[in-house]
Amino acid sequence: MLSLTSPIRTPYHALRASTKLLALCVFTLAVTLSGDPRAVWGAAALVAGLYLAGGLRFAAAGLRMLRPLVFFVAIVALWHGILGEWAEGALVIGKLAAAFGLANLVTMTTRLDDMIALVERVAAPLARLGIEPRLPALSLALVMRFVPVQLQRAAALGEAWRARSRRRPGWRLVTPLALLAIDDAEHVSDALRARGGVRPPASSKG
Amino acid sequence: MVNPVHTSFEDVTLTLDGRRIFDGFDLELRERRVGLVGRNGSGKSMLARLAAGLVAPDHGKVRIEGADIFRDRAEAIRLVGILFQNPDHQIIFPTVEEELAFGLTQQGLGRRAARAGATETLAAFGKADWAERPIATLSQGQRHLVCLMAVLAMAPRLVILDEPFAGLDAPTIAQLTRRLGAVEQNLLHASHDLAALADYDRVIWIEAGRILRDGDPGAVLAEYAERMARAGADECSL
Ligand SMILES: Nc1ncnc2c1ncn2[C@@H]1O[C@H](COP(=O)(O)OP(=O)(O)O)[C@@H](O)[C@H]1O
Ligand SMILES: [Mg+2]
Repeated sequence: MLSLTSPIRTPYHALRASTKLLALCVFTLAVTLSGDPRAVWGAAALVAGLYLAGGLRFAAAGLRMLRPLVFFVAIVALWHGILGEWAEGALVIGKLAAAFGLANLVTMTTRLDDMIALVERVAAPLARLGIEPRLPALSLALVMRFVPVQLQRAAALGEAWRARSRRRPGWRLVTPLALLAIDDAEHVSDALRARGGVRPPASSKG
Repeated sequence: MVNPVHTSFEDVTLTLDGRRIFDGFDLELRERRVGLVGRNGSGKSMLARLAAGLVAPDHGKVRIEGADIFRDRAEAIRLVGILFQNPDHQIIFPTVEEELAFGLTQQGLGRRAARAGATETLAAFGKADWAERPIATLSQGQRHLVCLMAVLAMAPRLVILDEPFAGLDAPTIAQLTRRLGAVEQNLLHASHDLAALADYDRVIWIEAGRILRDGDPGAVLAEYAERMARAGADECSL
């Protein structure tokens, strides 16, 4: 199971989720629209500084979570390298680093239930369209909870396959994995219903 | 002390994928702690899910304290909690406190109150330091305890346990059983661990969706154990 919220305490944990997300939105917008490489890289450096202010261990954990970013950076670098647009490439990479860096920082320092409550509040107007405002928020929680479970499943099935075969399993695991996912989904729907479901009935009675 | 809860299955019929699991099933429970035994596939889990209002009977009603437990979900989450065999099928949130607080917000508490309630339950179990722990860092036995705490935090009158401790090691089972023993709630407990049910008020043995024996744990469990041993010696009874 995945927990994106870092157990290493930082001052950022105490900030309100809404404050952090608003700051993130403004920051991302500014960085994305900016054409000035010095401003963009300054912003990235600022983000790095924020990580370091949380302690070395926290910064290292943050860096680990940002590893998938390397892949995007490599593609951007390659593309702009081929075109010979080095300055343009450096600008885009700076934007990626700054925006994803801060987004990751917010994720690492915000409790999932706070995040969910916020999503719920933002989604509240959906109620007028007849959509349960908890739905997007709860989906977020379930995705966070079950993506890693599925990955673990895939690894376990892969091992079970390899224990009895010399060939690699590849696509042959797709069907059993999908069936297991459906089975999981049924269990989760039970667990959710056992505690009141997506639309909690508590309000109807005391 | 909690008063015994009245649970009733009234002429319940349940069909799944064209198979009759229960057919005109009747059962009344008023005892505080009821054990449920039966072989794999006998219908224990379905009975547990019916009692928790997770599945609708095709015919008949399941009531707890008179409330139609499938339809009246507000009463349901006030009256009954269920503990599944696999904690990973039950835990929805990535950290312990969030998992405990969720049920309380579902019961209508505000987030602050829910969090306080979670903290209170954790403290009552001597696990205050677990609040921020990611579920991923807990052992299987610890996750079971989280599920139990999450259920108890909601203070239901009846706790249903569907083989909750299968696959755990003996010391962990002993510890969790001790925790359960201290719980004041009514229990409906499906288990293969017969010793855990020995001091219950009543034990029900079901086979193929029917009640085979029902009564005092001493007599029912002894006969059940004897029958299981015989079935095990029999070559092809799987
Ligand atoms: N989703 C389902 N669809 C069809 N049949 C099911 C389903 N779940 C369980 N059953 C059947 O219902 C019967 C009772 O199952 P269950 O309550 O899980 O037994 P137990 O918990 O005692 O092992 C079994 O015969 C089983 O095959
Ligand atoms: Mg079962």
